Amino acid sequence: MRNLAFALIAMILGTAAARADSVLVLNSEDASYSILSRSHRAEMKRVPIGREPHHLIATPDGSEVLLASTVTNELTALDTRTGERRRVVRNVVDPYQLGFSPDGKWFVTAANRLDHIDIYQADGLKLARRIFMDGTPSHLAFDAESKTVFVTLQETGRVVAFDLASQTLKWTTEVGSAPAGLIMPDADRLIVALTGDDRIIVVDPKNGAIKGALKTGKAAHNFFPRGDGRYWFLSNRVEGTISLLDTQDMKVVATIKVPGGPDDMAITADGKEMWVTQRFLRRVAVVDLEKMKMVASVPVGKSPHGIMIFKDDWLIGGSPLRAASTAGERR
Amino acid sequence: MRDLVDIWVGIQTWLFESLVAPLLYGLGLMEWFEPAFNAVEFVMLGAVQIAIIAFGMRLIEKRWPLERHPDERLVGVDRVYTVLNKLGVVPLLVFAVTYPITNQIEYAVRAWGLMVPPLDQMLPGLEDSALASFLFYFVLYDFAAYWVHRAQHKLGWWWALHSLHHSQRQVTVWSDDRNHILDNFLVTLSLVVFAQFVGVQPEDYVLILMVGRLIESFSHANIDLGFGRIGRWLVVSPRFHRLHHALGTAQDRRIYDHNFAPVFPIWDILFGTAIYDGKYRPTGVDDPRIDADNGRGWLGQQVTVLGRFLRAVVPTLRRAPAQPGLRPPAE
Repeated sequence: MRNLAFALIAMILGTAAARADSVLVLNSEDASYSILSRSHRAEMKRVPIGREPHHLIATPDGSEVLLASTVTNELTALDTRTGERRRVVRNVVDPYQLGFSPDGKWFVTAANRLDHIDIYQADGLKLARRIFMDGTPSHLAFDAESKTVFVTLQETGRVVAFDLASQTLKWTTEVGSAPAGLIMPDADRLIVALTGDDRIIVVDPKNGAIKGALKTGKAAHNFFPRGDGRYWFLSNRVEGTISLLDTQDMKVVATIKVPGGPDDMAITADGKEMWVTQRFLRRVAVVDLEKMKMVASVPVGKSPHGIMIFKDDWLIGGSPLRAASTAGERR
Repeated sequence: MRDLVDIWVGIQTWLFESLVAPLLYGLGLMEWFEPAFNAVEFVMLGAVQIAIIAFGMRLIEKRWPLERHPDERLVGVDRVYTVLNKLGVVPLLVFAVTYPITNQIEYAVRAWGLMVPPLDQMLPGLEDSALASFLFYFVLYDFAAYWVHRAQHKLGWWWALHSLHHSQRQVTVWSDDRNHILDNFLVTLSLVVFAQFVGVQPEDYVLILMVGRLIESFSHANIDLGFGRIGRWLVVSPRFHRLHHALGTAQDRRIYDHNFAPVFPIWDILFGTAIYDGKYRPTGVDDPRIDADNGRGWLGQQVTVLGRFLRAVVPTLRRAPAQPGLRPPAE
């Protein structure tokens, strides 16, 4: 009986701890970021930042998250444990998408509006080379060996691969209309989402040869890993759905309805919820990953884009800016 | 407030997802996905403005008219201008031409690191107040618009275009949008570049256009209203702006070179162009070639004013108009 009581207390405390997560969302057209509380399912705080912040990335050591403000050419670093602003890195021109290579040695940005790809040495953010590349550089991905960065060119329908050490072009290939997110589930396959189409394309990362395709939903856009290496979520922006992909068998195993142009995703530390930015609705959807269903939708700023979830509670004792919403359940 | 935002964004998203997004997707224009979503909001705001003008301002004007208008057809053409502008037809054309230019300018300014840092995040009191930030940028924008307006009157070639706006003999709440497309293009180009340079937020920019254009529509009303002792210094009233449309007199042939301010009369007061005498004056331009705009429809005005502009720009086109009495007799 006593053990049962302890187990119950531990379970309650465990749940509370897991629900302490803070969710950070970049409101790209409000020049702000929102901090949401997972437990309240509500926006707790809104903080001004630069202009047109779209994406964010954690530093390789996990101590900071960099929020990229494209128009003001800035990266704002927040402490991932407390959410406090630590520093601002300037003169990173038009940082739209950004990423660190797996070995942490390289930092790459895709300048979506200014049409170039910047490859930095991550240590001290020293620019190794700026590569001008017509066609609206969009998303990027690295190979596991940190030798190559792959970038989609949204306007020209191409994917380009650059050798990181020499910053030279390895190959370029045409994949289809408006390619966006791309992932490498294994060493032999690069999977690219086509926002101008309803499918994903499989490309050979060695030479850019197209190896296959899979239909998912209209305007296939961006990926997020479930965490097991095999299954990935994919947002379909016009279809208004999230597909769960089995990248091993190359099939869609589930589809979740998320209206409002679903875009970027993040999964809570306990793996129970996925939060998805609904660009058009100015909301963030909460998807229950056990029910595989959207269960709530939290109001944020205009055009929410990048999103990340932190296991620490950044706002102990804070109160929501407005009441929590479950509008998503009615949709 | 959030409920209103939800309703508004819900309608915008529904229109976009059911009409515009499938069209873009079908036509392979997905790179315009995000701008098109904002364009839907622009058209919705335009529809609201038309409703306010037609069912609010127009009723006031009809109840307390300053002058009786003998020819309703002269006002009819201004309605066409308003509908074409507010529902996005003219702005879409203007956008198609200005976008590549403003983009190039923005590229240069950003790539050279010449952007002005976000002023609302630097000046005390603005960062935490959306209203203060909006008013700050509204005043800045209006200041730029004042000087653009002065240039429209000062430069001969620009006046050749802008005189179309002044040629209306029966100025009403519909008259604000009566402009040549080329004039629209030049004004848009100037003000968008200014807005980009000082870093007006997209959300503020939409509101500035909405509120500003409504105030400007009302300032054209055919009523004698002055806003009182204090109000007349704060916001442009119909009485104040009517002088700007006044027909030239023997004493002051270009009396319309006064009261330029679009929204805040402070600029006219500061720069010595304000007149507050409150006298009744008929409207129009004392030049038969410009006054002849009144007999024409939308297309006729666009074509003849383009000719007027070309004659102002290209000296060799400036021939005296043929007069029937001077024509040589036929053989």
